Amino acid sequence: MLLVESVNKTYPNGAQALDHASLGVNAGEIVAVVGGSGCGKSTLLRLIAGLDPPTRGQVQLDGETIRSPLSAIGLVFQEPRLLPWLTVAQNIGFGLYALPHDERDRIVNDVLQHVGLADYANSWPRELSGGQAQRVAIARALAPRPKVLLLDEPFSSLDAFTRASLQEHLLDLWEAFRPTLVLVTHDVEEAAFLADRVFVMRPRPGRFVATIDLGIARPRDRYGVEIEDAKRRILGALDRSLRPHPKGEELAPAAAI
Amino acid sequence: MMAMTAIETPHLAEATSSATSARHGPIPRHASGRFLLGFVLPVALAITWEVAVRFGWAQGRLMPPPSRILTALYNLAITGELFHHIFVTTARVAAGFALGALAATIVGALAGAFRIAREMADPMLQGLRAVPSIAWVPLFILWFGIFEQSKITLIAVGCFFPIYLGVLGAILSVDRKTVEVGRIFRLSIFSLIWRILLPAILPTYVVSLRAGLGLGWMFVVAAEFMGASEGLGYLLVDGQQLGKPDQILASILAFAILGKVSDGLLAAAAAPFLTWQDAFAPRG
Repeated sequence: MLLVESVNKTYPNGAQALDHASLGVNAGEIVAVVGGSGCGKSTLLRLIAGLDPPTRGQVQLDGETIRSPLSAIGLVFQEPRLLPWLTVAQNIGFGLYALPHDERDRIVNDVLQHVGLADYANSWPRELSGGQAQRVAIARALAPRPKVLLLDEPFSSLDAFTRASLQEHLLDLWEAFRPTLVLVTHDVEEAAFLADRVFVMRPRPGRFVATIDLGIARPRDRYGVEIEDAKRRILGALDRSLRPHPKGEELAPAAAI
Repeated sequence: MMAMTAIETPHLAEATSSATSARHGPIPRHASGRFLLGFVLPVALAITWEVAVRFGWAQGRLMPPPSRILTALYNLAITGELFHHIFVTTARVAAGFALGALAATIVGALAGAFRIAREMADPMLQGLRAVPSIAWVPLFILWFGIFEQSKITLIAVGCFFPIYLGVLGAILSVDRKTVEVGRIFRLSIFSLIWRILLPAILPTYVVSLRAGLGLGWMFVVAAEFMGASEGLGYLLVDGQQLGKPDQILASILAFAILGKVSDGLLAAAAAPFLTWQDAFAPRG
């Protein structure tokens, strides 16, 4: 169980990225965090990954407070961030440096099969397409078998076609490894297609405003009625989150008219 | 999964093969004769000078024509003297460069990786860098005597600064995003240096090593000027004192060839480690 407990994050420049953000994710669940740009989605992921410390509050995985990156938590960045001096296979094995050689090779080969890139094991990252590079990045994060995989808008720079195939691919990998997935995205369709639950965030400062339980069985039909309905619900929550603040501090003051 | 493979594979295979042919196609064609272009200018100059002296248009006493330089080289070579001097000088450069490069790499890596090390050491090193290295000569002679030690130290000091600066600057410009990959996989600071920082700076590092080696050849002459009985620098001084310009030019020619060859060897030794680079390679 991944718990984010009343977390605040204020950057040294005074910008408050998160305000009392709380979140609980069950083991093996897929959740999506959606919100406009600048709503603190990426900050939240960095806190869970242990890359940055929260200003207040805490993040816990199975009862243990996260203070620095853990092997149980993997992170896929928005860009693939492959190391250009390592081959595809070496990149995937990057996080397995503590293991003996033969075991590392076995895991890398296994993961390569899973992501369908066995033919590219000895290619350089520069020889890959954007979609392939992101698949290698996911494979690298999955190779140490993390309990939780965090994804920070992982498909946002890909074309719609590749994005759809990678989303399905991600679900295949989830079926195989069953990690908890926390996906940050601004793509409502992506959230509706992948997630069990969707958390909606409001910007300045970032705060959770709604939780939507989708409850749609898998495999899902991307163009089905259920997904359309889920998209409408998420969009509605996003829309409401940008309406005037309940306390009266309006984001778009009507008095100006 | 199946659908995706079917969709992605064809256009990827195509992209990869075109990338491969773009990268590897033209290179063998170039390598065959292209390097000869580099000989056109020096050979033309040499022939011009030879002709000018032969026809009496120029006087070859202080600037001997190529034939006399080559004769001087040949005469030095048949006695074995030339190879002895080349060996001595090369050994000095090799020792000084190895020491200087090793120290510069370690100090540069530490200063790059640890802020406190940088803040403590860098201002002093930058100050010392401003001192012309030749200025150390009297001190080194006092400390180490006039034999090998002082010469090798001077060369090491000369090689140190460009390499230190190259390593430090390159580490400081490594992308934060790449370093974060190391943090996510919980690398210790030393694994971070070894597995991320050093490979990331390797292209810049090779360039600074080449600059350092170039300075090594420069400083070996300074070192040999300050009192040596062997080495190419000694041949230069000897040629000046005995009025043998052909011997001076023969040593200069030897320096040019040694410098070029050693630089080429260094670049060639580094090339296998840099095949991953996705660099701009001008064509034509």
